[in-house]
Amino acid sequence: MTVARDACWGPAQVHALAVREAFEAITASGFLVTLEEPDLPLHAPEGESKDLARRRKQEGDLSVWRGDPYLLLPEASQLVDVCVSIREDLGFSMLYDLAGCDLSADAANLQIVYGFLNLSRKQRLVLLTEVAKDQLHLPSVAKVFPAADWHEREASEMYGLIFDGHPDPRALLLPEDWEGFPLRKDYVFPEEYGGIPWA
Amino acid sequence: MGLTPSFAQAPGSEVEVAVPTQDCSINMGPQHPATHGVMRLLLKADGEVLTGAQAHLGYLHRCAEKIGENVDWTQYLPYTDRYDYLSAMNNNLGYSLAVEKLMGLEVPERAQWMRVLLAELNRIASHLFAVGTYGLDLGAFTPLFYTLREREEILDLFQEICGARLTCTFIRPGGLFNDAPEGWLEKVESFLCRFEERWKEYDALLLRNKIFIERTAGIGTLSGNDAVTWGVTGPLLRASGVDWDLRRDQPYLVYDQLDFEVPLGVGRQGEVGDCWDRTEVRMSEMLASLSMIRQCLDKMPDGAIQHPDAGPVLRPAPGRAYVGVENPRGELGHWLVSDGTKHPVRVRMRSPSFCNLSVVEHLLPGAMLGDAAAILGSIDIVVGETDR
Repeated sequence: MTVARDACWGPAQVHALAVREAFEAITASGFLVTLEEPDLPLHAPEGESKDLARRRKQEGDLSVWRGDPYLLLPEASQLVDVCVSIREDLGFSMLYDLAGCDLSADAANLQIVYGFLNLSRKQRLVLLTEVAKDQLHLPSVAKVFPAADWHEREASEMYGLIFDGHPDPRALLLPEDWEGFPLRKDYVFPEEYGGIPWA
Repeated sequence: MGLTPSFAQAPGSEVEVAVPTQDCSINMGPQHPATHGVMRLLLKADGEVLTGAQAHLGYLHRCAEKIGENVDWTQYLPYTDRYDYLSAMNNNLGYSLAVEKLMGLEVPERAQWMRVLLAELNRIASHLFAVGTYGLDLGAFTPLFYTLREREEILDLFQEICGARLTCTFIRPGGLFNDAPEGWLEKVESFLCRFEERWKEYDALLLRNKIFIERTAGIGTLSGNDAVTWGVTGPLLRASGVDWDLRRDQPYLVYDQLDFEVPLGVGRQGEVGDCWDRTEVRMSEMLASLSMIRQCLDKMPDGAIQHPDAGPVLRPAPGRAYVGVENPRGELGHWLVSDGTKHPVRVRMRSPSFCNLSVVEHLLPGAMLGDAAAILGSIDIVVGETDR
């Protein structure tokens, strides 16, 4: 398969096609996912890019967005089965990234993003799922993709997520006794740690 | 604590002697020269054979991703220099491309060629340091001084173009900070001519050195399949025989207009994916980068180096974008979320060293204790990047 070059930051159209194909295949297997696609053009129209976002914000239109299309999996409990399907049926053999995301302190949910890479077809696929902040449990995919092991440990200490079935759920980057989840938007910076003042 | 009997055969005899050994835990680091930074490996050994390994990270953790949410889009750029401080240009490039994707900006053509030139120059500098220090890990002191000599020349070139040697902040959203000063491109050209000759010296000193081959061939073998499942990228993945290079397979900037080879590990001295193959891939990549820089010098057009829409304060359109670029250590990905204001909502950085290092807990068990430094060194981590 030849790679189409459509922008200086990479083959975005190829990825868009891959996500649409994957959406059809995963839906056909009986999983409930939705396809989310950007509704702003990839390239800014001439002379419009600089203040585009600001203008749209003033007009109260925040629903439009630019960037990569992705799949939204509303039921996080299906995660392991969907990942097996993505790996076995669709051939995305590498999990290149897994990260949490907290959009705002008021948001009810945390988002978790999974990035998959298909080396033979040169495609990427992004899967996003949500977990309520008062629930925080979701299944670990470390058994399907060993690469998820460290990423899940990191997401767990940064967002307080609990990955059920993780083989080694210790803290990775933070000390074991660190309090709070630093990447949450409502995180309060500590005054001191172990007797060492902040400044 | 368990006494596990293992069987050693006395030389020249056919009598098997049961030698009871005792499991012991060995701390490698946090201050160990082979960890290239502050990192601790907890090794479990049964005699000379490793039975387990556990990595303890976080000694250099600064929570760069949280910092990203508290500064604006342009202010975050200097922090990207400091993840992988051996390849600042490549980090700047990865972040800038992701911001530009959110903004829908395509940078001017001269800036694209200059970016490729700088990224490849930085790749050579990074690989020189990686190969040199790897020799040092194995007890070969001399090659490091040879490789540092050329790395200094590249850093001098960086100093001339941007004022900094390591933390460049030169490639920025919208283009470049500045155009190359008068005569700079000619200096690059003359460096390339010298470098080609000197590359042969490291090849003879290190790669073809009998002791080096004995220490690395057949050691720490990582199969292509395992490399993919553990999310390994970059020279490590290619040394395991997996033909994957973002510059060719998902081209960004002007890489699709360049003609270059992607070196793979073939197991010339031992097995495919051993420590020797990783070093050889890095060595060959230097020559590939050299040819890319030559092509950039030939084809670089004149023109602007900064997009007029990218000012000091950026407000990318609301959205989420991921851009992965091929760094010297593998795929550096930036996953950015914008809400249209001047502060990022989320700056996720997928660091190649972090993902490559995660395979160490899988590679070390079964290896000899004396090879631990050889295996860890061949992964070529930068702890600033694993810990962020």
